[in-house]
Amino acid sequence: MSTKEEVLAKLKKSIEELDEDMATEGAKEAVELGIDPITAISDGLGAGMQTQSDLFDEGEVFVPQLVVAADIFEQAIGIITADLSEEAKNASSLGKVLICTVDSDIHDIGKNIVKTMLAASGFEVFDLGRDVSSAEVVEKAKEYDVDIIAGAALMTTTMPAQREIIELLKEDGIRDQFKCMFGGAPVSPEWIKEIGADAYAENAAEAVEQAKKLMAM
Amino acid sequence: MPQIFFKEQGQHVEVAAGTTILQAARNAGIIVESPCDGVGTCGKCKVLLEDAPAGSYKVEEAHYQMPPELAEQGYVLACHTKVLGDITVVAENTAKQNKSLKILSEGESFSYEIDPYFHKEYADGKTKVYAGDKLVGEEDGDTRDKFYGLAIDIGTTTLVTALIDMNTGEELGSMSALNPQSLHAQDVITRIHMASKPEGLALLYGAIRDEFNNTIHALCKKLNVDSKNIYEVIYSGNTTMIHLATNVNPHSLGQFPYTAAIKGGNTIPADDLDISPFGDIYLPPIISAYVGPDITSGVLAAQLEKKKGTTLFIDIGTNGEMILAQDGRLAGTSTAAGPAFEGMNITCGMRAGDGALELYQIQDDGSVKTHTIGDTAAKGICGSGLLDIIGELVRVGVIGKTGRLVKPARGKYPEPLKANMKEKDGKPVFYVADDVYITQSDVRQVQLAKGAIRAGVDMLMMALDVDEQDVDCVEIAGSFGYHLRESSLIDQGMLPEAFRGKVRFVGNTSKSGAKAFLLNKGTRTYMENLVKDIKDVELSQDPKFQDVFVKAMGF
Ligand code: B12
Ligand code: FES
Repeated sequence: MSTKEEVLAKLKKSIEELDEDMATEGAKEAVELGIDPITAISDGLGAGMQTQSDLFDEGEVFVPQLVVAADIFEQAIGIITADLSEEAKNASSLGKVLICTVDSDIHDIGKNIVKTMLAASGFEVFDLGRDVSSAEVVEKAKEYDVDIIAGAALMTTTMPAQREIIELLKEDGIRDQFKCMFGGAPVSPEWIKEIGADAYAENAAEAVEQAKKLMAM
Repeated sequence: MPQIFFKEQGQHVEVAAGTTILQAARNAGIIVESPCDGVGTCGKCKVLLEDAPAGSYKVEEAHYQMPPELAEQGYVLACHTKVLGDITVVAENTAKQNKSLKILSEGESFSYEIDPYFHKEYADGKTKVYAGDKLVGEEDGDTRDKFYGLAIDIGTTTLVTALIDMNTGEELGSMSALNPQSLHAQDVITRIHMASKPEGLALLYGAIRDEFNNTIHALCKKLNVDSKNIYEVIYSGNTTMIHLATNVNPHSLGQFPYTAAIKGGNTIPADDLDISPFGDIYLPPIISAYVGPDITSGVLAAQLEKKKGTTLFIDIGTNGEMILAQDGRLAGTSTAAGPAFEGMNITCGMRAGDGALELYQIQDDGSVKTHTIGDTAAKGICGSGLLDIIGELVRVGVIGKTGRLVKPARGKYPEPLKANMKEKDGKPVFYVADDVYITQSDVRQVQLAKGAIRAGVDMLMMALDVDEQDVDCVEIAGSFGYHLRESSLIDQGMLPEAFRGKVRFVGNTSKSGAKAFLLNKGTRTYMENLVKDIKDVELSQDPKFQDVFVKAMGF
C-alpha cells in the first residue's frame, strides 16, 4: 500500500501528465488512506493544476491541456469528496465564488477552466452555467451568500451584462456585500474600471490571484 | 469652439470641446479606420497631431498601448483623444490605401436559362416594365434592349458589384470596393453592437448605401449604361450584412438564441438606390443567423444538392460557414473562427494588400522562399500567408504539437531557421522576414481559429454520419480561400489528412450565385424551398463540441 506522500505525488503527477487513469487510482487510494480531502486537493491535484497553469503562463501548454487537466481534476475531486457532507466540503475554503457566463452568451470553455482553477486553489465555487440572466446572478449570490461574483463574457454584445449585474446590485443596495470579478477575451481592465467592478483577470491563473487579493481586502 | 484641421483631407471641422477626434471625423464624413469601434483595443485609429500646443487635446487611457516611438512623434488614438483647442490632425486618406486591396470577383457557376424576374413588353411607342406578373412602370419608346441588373456580393470586408445585361446574361463589368462599414467596425459582432443603436445603424446603413450608389455611378459611366435602366439588384452576403444593407436593426443576431429579424426570399423596394424608379432588391433566403444568403448563393452556384456522393462546401473566414451535402441531404453550421484569417489579432497581421506576405515555403535545405503581394518588401502577414507560415513551421518542427514555439536549443529543425528564432521583450518570436515575425500568441490565435473550423467540419460529418474517407470533394469558397493552397490547410490540421487531393477552390460563389438569382427567377422559389430542408447543426447546444474543438486545436 502506498504512503500518503506517494499518493499526493501521484495525484499531482496525474494532472501534470494528463493521465486520467492515474488520477482515478490516486483518488481511490486517497479515500482508502483517509487522506484529508483538503490536503489531497491542495498538495495533490491542486499542485498539479498549478504546474499546468505555470506552463500555460510560459506558453508551453495551451487551452487543450488546461481543459483536459480540468476534466481529470473534476473527476478525481468527485471521487475524493463523494462521501463528504456539505459542511465538510466547505470547511477551510478560501472564500465562496459564484461563477457563470453572462446573459445571452453561451461561451463557457474559458469559464470552466477558471472555475476549476479556483476550486483547485481552495475556493468554494458555485457554477450557474451559461446564458445566466443578471437577475438570477444577483439572486443566487444572495442565496449562497458568496464573497465574489465572477462572470465571463466572450462577445462584445454581451459585455454590457457585466455592467447590468453591478447596476442590479446597486439597486438592491447590496453592492458592497460582494466583490465583482469579470473576464473573457474582449473584456479589458479599462472596461472593469468603467463599469465599476473590482477585478479583472486575463486568464485562469490570474483569476486565482485576483480572487485571493479580493478576499484579503 | 475648437477647430480641427484634417490635413490630408483639407477639411476644417468645428466641434464642441471634449469631442473625440474619431467622433469629429465621423461627423464630418471623414473616415478614420476604427475596427474596434472606438473601444480602444485595436490601435488602428492612430492619427498624427501636428505641433499641437499643450492643453489643446487630452489623451485618455486605453487598452491599446501606443509604442513609445510613435507616441514621441505625436501619434494618438483618434478614439481616445479629446479635442480641447485648435489642432491639426493628419489622418491617412483611406481612399488611397485601399486601392491595392486584393479582391476576388470571380466564382464558379452552372448553366441555367436566362429568365429574369423582370421583363419588358413593347407596344404603341411605350415599353411596359413587369416585375413577375405585375406591371410596375412604363417607359417612352422601345427600351427593351436597355435592360440591366446588379449582382452584389456584400462581404464583411469587401463589396463586389457586377453589372449584368438581363437580355443576354452577359456580365458587362464588375467593380470591387472596400465595405465602408469595416472602417467603423471591423467584425460582424462589433457591427451588430454598433447598429443596435439607431445612430449606429444610421451611420452603417448610410455608409453602405452611399458606396452602392458611388459604385453604380462609376460602373454605369465606365460601361456607358444609364443607371435608370437597372431594374433589379441582388444582395448576397452574410445575414448581418443583409440586415445592415437593408436598414434593419440586427440586435437579435448578437444575443442568444441568435435569431434573424428578416428571413430573406423576398423583394423590397430599391428607393435608396439610384436605379430605375420601378426597381427592386431581391434578398436570397437566409439559412440561419450565421449561415446567410451568401451561402445560399454558394449552394446554388455549386449545385450542392444535385451532386452525387459527398461534398463539403466551406467559406473559410471569420464565421466559417459550411455546408455538407450527401446525395441531396444537406446540413450546415457556422463556427466562429474569429478574425485571425483577416490578419486581425495577429501582431504583424494585415489585410491582403501591398506588402503582405502571402506565400512562405521552407525548402529541404532550410532556406525559405516567400512572396509578398505587389512584390514589395514584406510589411506584414495576411491570412493566407499566416496559414502558410504556421503550416510550414509545424511541418519542420519550429512549432510543436501543443503549438509552442520550440527554442533552438531544444528543436530539431533545420539549422538556418534557428537564427530566425529571437527574443522580443523577453518572449520568443520567429522572424519570417526582416521586420515581420510570429509570436507565441499569434500561434495561439491560429489554433483557436483553425480548431473552430476543424471542429465544425467534424461536427457536420457526425451530424450526417459521414466518415472523413467518404468525402469526395471539398469546395472552398470565398476570396480568402482562393489565395490558399491545399497543403497549408491540411498541414496544420484545419482539414483532415483524408481530404488531401480533394480540395478545390471555387472562388466567389456568393456573386456567381447572386447572378443566377438575378437571371433565373425559377432559382428563387427553388432555393426558398431547399433552404428549409438544410439541417441546422447548432454547435452551442451540443455537449460533444468542446471535446472535438479541444482536440482540433493541436497540431
Ligand atoms: C469556441 C467558440 C465558440 C463555440 C463555443 C463553445 C462553448 N461551449 O464555449 C461555439 C462554436 C458554440 C461558438 C458559437 C458562436 N460564437 Co464563438 N467562438 C469560439 C472561439 C473559437 C473560441 C472561444 C474559446 O473557447 N476560447 C478559449 C478559452 C479558454 O478562452 P477564453 O474564453 O477567452 O477564456 C480565458 C480568459 O478569457 C479568462 N476568462 C474566461 N472566463 C473568465 C471569467 C472570469 C470571471 C475571469 C476573471 C476570467 C475569465 O480565462 C480563460 C482561460 O485562460 C472564439 C474565436 C477565437 N478565436 O477566440 C469565437 C468567438 C468568441 N465567438 C464569436 C461569436 C460571434 C459566436 C457566435 C455568436 C456567432 C458565430 N458563428 O460567429 C456563435 C453562436 C451561434 C451558435 N451557433 O450558437 C465571436 C465573438 C465576436 C465578438 N466581437 O464579440 C468570436 C470571437 C469569433 C468571431 N466570430 O469573431 N463559439
Ligand atoms: S483603438 Fe480601435 S478605434 Fe481606436
